[in-house]
Amino acid sequence: MTSAPFSLRFGRFCYLAFNVGVVVFLLAPIAIVFVFALNPTPYIQFPPVGVSMRWFEKFFASRDFMNALWFSLEVAVLTTVAATLFGASAALALARGRLPGSRAITAIMLSPLMLPAILTGLALFQTYVLLDVGRPTWGLVLGHTIVSIPYVVRTTLAVLHNFDTRLEEAAQNLGAGALRTYFEVTLPLTKPGVMAGAVFAFIVSFDQFPISLFLVSPGHETLPITLFNYLKFDLDGTIGAASVVSIVLAVLVVVGLDRTVGLRSYAEL
Amino acid sequence: MTIIRKPVNRRQFLAVAATAGAGIIAAPHVARAQAATLRITGWGGKWGQTMSAELIPAFEKEFKCKVETDTAFPFLPKLQASSRSNPVYDVLHTNSNEQWAALEMGIVEAKIDPKQVPNIADVYPYAVSDKIVGVTIFTSAIGLGMRTDKGYGKVTSWKDLWDKAYDGVRGGYVIPVNSLGQAFVMMSGMLYGKGMTDLDAAYAALEKVKPMKLADFTGTMEKMILSGEVGLAVIHDSGILRYDGQNQPTAFVAPSEGVMALEQVLTLTPGTKVRELANAYVNYMLSPGVQKTLAESVWYSPANSKVKLDDKYNDKLLTTPAKVATLIQPDWKWYNAHKDEIDSRVNRIFRA
Amino acid sequence: MKATRASVSPIAWLIAPSALLFALFFFLPMGLMALISVLSGNPVVQSNVTFTGKYYARILSDSYYFEVIWTTIRIGLFTTLAALLVGYPLAHWMARIRGRTAYALLMMSVLTPMLTGIVVRTFAWMALLSDKGAINQTLTGLGLIAKPLSLMYNEFSIVLGLTHIYIPYMVLTLVGVIGRIDERLEHAAQNLGASPLRAFFEVTLPLSLPGILAGSLLVFALAISAYVTPILMGGFQIMTLPMLIYQQISSSFNVGFAAALGMVLLAISLALIIAYNRILGMISGQRDLQ
Repeated sequence: MTSAPFSLRFGRFCYLAFNVGVVVFLLAPIAIVFVFALNPTPYIQFPPVGVSMRWFEKFFASRDFMNALWFSLEVAVLTTVAATLFGASAALALARGRLPGSRAITAIMLSPLMLPAILTGLALFQTYVLLDVGRPTWGLVLGHTIVSIPYVVRTTLAVLHNFDTRLEEAAQNLGAGALRTYFEVTLPLTKPGVMAGAVFAFIVSFDQFPISLFLVSPGHETLPITLFNYLKFDLDGTIGAASVVSIVLAVLVVVGLDRTVGLRSYAEL
Repeated sequence: MTIIRKPVNRRQFLAVAATAGAGIIAAPHVARAQAATLRITGWGGKWGQTMSAELIPAFEKEFKCKVETDTAFPFLPKLQASSRSNPVYDVLHTNSNEQWAALEMGIVEAKIDPKQVPNIADVYPYAVSDKIVGVTIFTSAIGLGMRTDKGYGKVTSWKDLWDKAYDGVRGGYVIPVNSLGQAFVMMSGMLYGKGMTDLDAAYAALEKVKPMKLADFTGTMEKMILSGEVGLAVIHDSGILRYDGQNQPTAFVAPSEGVMALEQVLTLTPGTKVRELANAYVNYMLSPGVQKTLAESVWYSPANSKVKLDDKYNDKLLTTPAKVATLIQPDWKWYNAHKDEIDSRVNRIFRA
Repeated sequence: MKATRASVSPIAWLIAPSALLFALFFFLPMGLMALISVLSGNPVVQSNVTFTGKYYARILSDSYYFEVIWTTIRIGLFTTLAALLVGYPLAHWMARIRGRTAYALLMMSVLTPMLTGIVVRTFAWMALLSDKGAINQTLTGLGLIAKPLSLMYNEFSIVLGLTHIYIPYMVLTLVGVIGRIDERLEHAAQNLGASPLRAFFEVTLPLSLPGILAGSLLVFALAISAYVTPILMGGFQIMTLPMLIYQQISSSFNVGFAAALGMVLLAISLALIIAYNRILGMISGQRDLQ
């Protein structure tokens, strides 16, 4: 590299500096959240006046926040399972089912991603009124599932389009039926894409706001809704503490994913 | 032990299956009916804490019921979308302007029967006046909140808010979504025109009051005043007084022209299945003990005239007929009829 | 492409559960909203409602709504452009970086913001940009400025907040596409005398066009339907379509008008998806010809 001309080294430097800048940009607000969570004053103040754990204590002592955190996790897990099952099987049908009009169907499957979620939320609420089912948890989960499926479909399709169909053909030539081929060849190969989709489904559900707005019911509120309502009355460090907790959870999920399936080239949309 | 010998025929089986199926689908409703559940709305923050920690459990115990409080906004669209015969709430607690809108849509009842709610006999006249749907349980006074540490001049009038000295630190509300913002529109018409319904004067005045930092909720404004982001703002007394004793450099000013009433109003929904319980809840909220607890927890002025607050609160809240007389009650029926027109106009005035 | 194409595989049945789910919980609700947008009242809870075009007439009669629609689209375009310009180099770096740890660290810095929660993330920007926020306090503290800079409550802050939130979506879409482009192609171009920059523009960039389109479509769609960020970052002084929809639902209780506005937003999104499919078809068509 030392022999490279100056312009090349300068270009390389700019490239790296820019990208480091982008990473800093991505992480700056998170650093602020940490500062805010530890600063004892009950409003935004900079520079911080000290370090205190009072907001963490308030967060963990608050029944509302704890209920919301657990409920959010519950909804996110259920959504992840549902979206993964629905999305992955749909993706498989689209990629391998030789369906007529599969391109149009793919566009439809991805459309919840493109539509204003606030409208989807209200529309679902109205539908539940029409069906006279109240505001059950499964209704919320299905709402989240609808907007999470597109991610699973995308990641799974990406993997399905990438890997060699000759493996499946070989299995079928050896006499395996379509379903057996699926379970013994396709499924294991698709797993990383499905897992990546599952992670996105979890993220989308855990951070879902507009869909939940109309679908949560008393005593069953998700964390973003609770935070948003809390923000209306008390704009204090508890919000920061709540997000530090979710960031820690997030990092654990990502590290876990890296350890189990490996992140490289699978966590993509 | 009984052994069923009779063979179950197909028809019976189907009937049972259908009932079971319907039961599963309707399970939430059935469960509600059995436990005699009262479904209400309520605020979050300190109000919500006092309610859920203390007052609601006491009510549940006394009336052997379960209370479900929805604190997730927005309340009215959910009630609006739910079936008239099976509303999502039994008692709606919200601000007066929304109660009028709800009445207009036929989703709440106009009045509460004083015979079913004896404590109504003790409320101040404003709480059940012709400007109110249902019954007011508390009110706060909309006036001005200011920083006392920034060397601003003495504030006595609403018109001081138009002083150029407050450019950059003036605070107000998003008019289409906030009661205080809407009350401020009417106050502007009164200050600079022929009265609260003089919209042209109000628009001209709003044009001049810019720049203004807008909040959608009083809690946000409280914090903007506390952090010093805002120096003089429209706010209700409770938003300043509740930091009493914390040595905050803030003060509430009741302008000489009068304060606007921000009423906390309860109404019953026509389709409620637990009418007795709903009335009992309204009566409970108006009882002197509950009124005192909540008034002293969030600095709202109690509607019940028989309530005796501690001196500290008594001095600052509207607790005598003379003090209550300074309240100006806005005509929300008129305002709501003009809301769309006002919204599209003020949305234009306040866009960046 | 052999004869096998003719028959539909049994695997196709795997679409059935999703189809049912979408029919019940997506098309039915959306159809209901479309219906409400042309009715005088809510058919679910009211009787004697009639058909009306008044909500659409209202949108057409007032230029304010056109301005709101245009503001929404403009914010979407700027956000998409910013996310692409900032996200592409990062995605390129991630696609080409060697070493598992470095990659995992980068991936984590992309994924962490996604998991911070939309309310909190936006709130953090407020803590940075408000008059009493970190940037203004630091600058005033250093004596560089006398009055706080207006970093918030304008279109810039909305675009900034949205870009931050949606960069991960752009990056994650691009990483895979760039990663699949054979690095040897770039090297070949360089061996033929092209500078790395030129090799990039003539080889890598054109090949990653499908990813750019897919990522842009995703970010644009997410940005025009964002709600929390525009209200908190815009201080209610910038009105976007989702804000107006929410305002109509929550404070004017006019679900019919909100639904009509929603249909407009829907139409914009659909037009975009169709255009995207067309362009993608054209690009891949060209490649097939080459």
